[in-house]
Amino acid sequence: MPPEIQPPFSKILIANRGEIAVRLIRACREMGIVSVAVYSEADANALHTRTADEAVLIGAAEASESYLNIERVVDAAKESGAEAIHPGYGFLAENPGSAQAVADASLTFIGPSPEAMRAMGDKAAARTLMGKAGVPLVPGYQGEDDDESLQKAANDIGYPVLLKAAAGGGGKGMRVVENPDELEEAIGAARREAQNAFGDPRMIVEKYVTNARHVEIQVLADSHGNTLHLFERECSIQRRHQKIIEETPSPLLDDELRDVMGKAAVAAAEAVSYVNAGTVEFIVDPDTRQFYFLEMNTRLQVEHPITEMLTGLDLVQWQIRIAAGEKLPLTQDELSMRGHAIECRLYAEDPASGFLPATGIILAWQPPDGPGVRVDSGISAGTEVGVYYDPLLAKIIVQAEDRPAAIQKMRTALRDTVVLGLTTNREFLLDVLVHETFQKGTATTAFIAQHMNPWLPDEYVPVEALIAAAISEFHSPSNTGANLSTSENDPYSPWKRLKGFRMGMGQ
Amino acid sequence: MRLSYLANGHNHDVDLEKGEGGYRVTVGDSSQVVQVNSSTDGALQLLIDGKMLKAHVAAEGKQRYVWLNGKSYSFEKPSGSARRGAAAEAGGDGILRAPMPGQVRQVLVNEGDQVENGQTLLLLEAMKMEIRIQANLDGKLMKLHVAEGQTVDKDATLLEIEEG
Repeated sequence: MPPEIQPPFSKILIANRGEIAVRLIRACREMGIVSVAVYSEADANALHTRTADEAVLIGAAEASESYLNIERVVDAAKESGAEAIHPGYGFLAENPGSAQAVADASLTFIGPSPEAMRAMGDKAAARTLMGKAGVPLVPGYQGEDDDESLQKAANDIGYPVLLKAAAGGGGKGMRVVENPDELEEAIGAARREAQNAFGDPRMIVEKYVTNARHVEIQVLADSHGNTLHLFERECSIQRRHQKIIEETPSPLLDDELRDVMGKAAVAAAEAVSYVNAGTVEFIVDPDTRQFYFLEMNTRLQVEHPITEMLTGLDLVQWQIRIAAGEKLPLTQDELSMRGHAIECRLYAEDPASGFLPATGIILAWQPPDGPGVRVDSGISAGTEVGVYYDPLLAKIIVQAEDRPAAIQKMRTALRDTVVLGLTTNREFLLDVLVHETFQKGTATTAFIAQHMNPWLPDEYVPVEALIAAAISEFHSPSNTGANLSTSENDPYSPWKRLKGFRMGMGQ
Repeated sequence: MRLSYLANGHNHDVDLEKGEGGYRVTVGDSSQVVQVNSSTDGALQLLIDGKMLKAHVAAEGKQRYVWLNGKSYSFEKPSGSARRGAAAEAGGDGILRAPMPGQVRQVLVNEGDQVENGQTLLLLEAMKMEIRIQANLDGKLMKLHVAEGQTVDKDATLLEIEEG
């Protein structure tokens, strides 16, 4: 008999939904921890609700009534007897008020301290702090944020500028402004988005660096003074300032630059006495190889799996262990990179019309599998993708011995992914993977705007696709019964017209 | 029997005849013998003129979705009045529709207002993303179909402008 491993907590509440909630629940199960899901009225049948050991309804579909409502979340934790709350990403994850409310209820928040979050969450204050710690900064302005001051700052910095929500992250409340005429309306729109997403309309202005690479460093720090970096993630493939493909290692970095950036990230984390998992984002000028601090995300990142694939460490399990006071068992020198890992984010959106979110019901879902393929998803057949939440359906992650092999593995995995019933970016992702610039590893954050816009799906319809559609009119319902309920009410169903169709006729 | 599928504005007719152990399927001038090896939950395994093929098919209302060899296709089974698509495409007529499903965050104009091409008339929000609905011609706002806070479907009519 192997020795019993004592889990660091006996019960954890997962304050999130979708793929990340499912991923956190899995980590709990692997560690022998009972998981409690929370769900909104829209998510009564969601995968995360069904996967957890227990589930608590916390409110209406609107996130402000449910997943963003810290009181309901804390109440649910207390009622269910959970000892700790994992916020995932988004929703309550980077909100120091939430972390404080969790601590005030004598529960453990699985993430950094409210103080560290506050220091980094305020983009304006973080810039000042990082400047003092000697971390290189993008030219920018953080101060009085009335429209007039922002206008003056933008003129001083020089267009194009990037307006950013002081409280923000994840591309929300962010606008690129190309010239002074557009500034006023952009400030208004960005403020409203920021107010809705973060409850805070304050703005900062930065120089918008075009043709830059987005490279971030994963850090992991325990409460015993040990801070490690788990190498980088290259996240330059973005649309609407949100990443869609990430990889590690970055094709741009060499060991020397990796070491310098890693040390800068550790310095940034230590400057705010950071504990738990966090990510320091940089932009890198590919010509000069100079790097600049962008922001620190005080939470688990969407793209954390590629780091897990590369290093073999389970970041979520370490978040939980660190929150329970455990010590990191490794030193920086003991970490190593194995091969190459890539993640593609499968979104319900239309790449042919500005990546606008798409809605619908997932009618068929068959994720890819095979050696070195991992899928983190929060959907199943029948899942309704509505307007209330982020349209991320699944993350496809692969690991292979080198970058070309990883790209090939990803292409196969994406082709094998069956998702029917709504518009997704699956074929767009496949087109990015075969683009010469991506294959060379030289894509910048402007790649999609420069090389993939406009993009149209292949309109060719093979005869076999029509045959499959026609045959299925007569087969899927009768053989399985699974789709029969829709067919019975379907005026377009051929079953309505099949009366008098004699079997064996024709031949 | 004949089935019709609309893809990207083009109609495709598929003629299907059931025979011993399979179907004779004719699309355009190509005709093939198709056998169904298996069919489970929309996953089809077909033998088309002896060649094995795997596909996934799903149906919802008149929409048909097909996955085949790593590509996805979406077809519409046209009904009697299959002109909806054509009407929605004629966009420059002063009728503004929702480009995505979402919630009307703010209405910036009133009925009867004179508006200019490019002017922002309404703000639509979905999944924390804001979209500006802008006038597509100079004219008078004749009709406002939505109110602040209202949830709208994709392609719902939002505003009507009359040129002039």
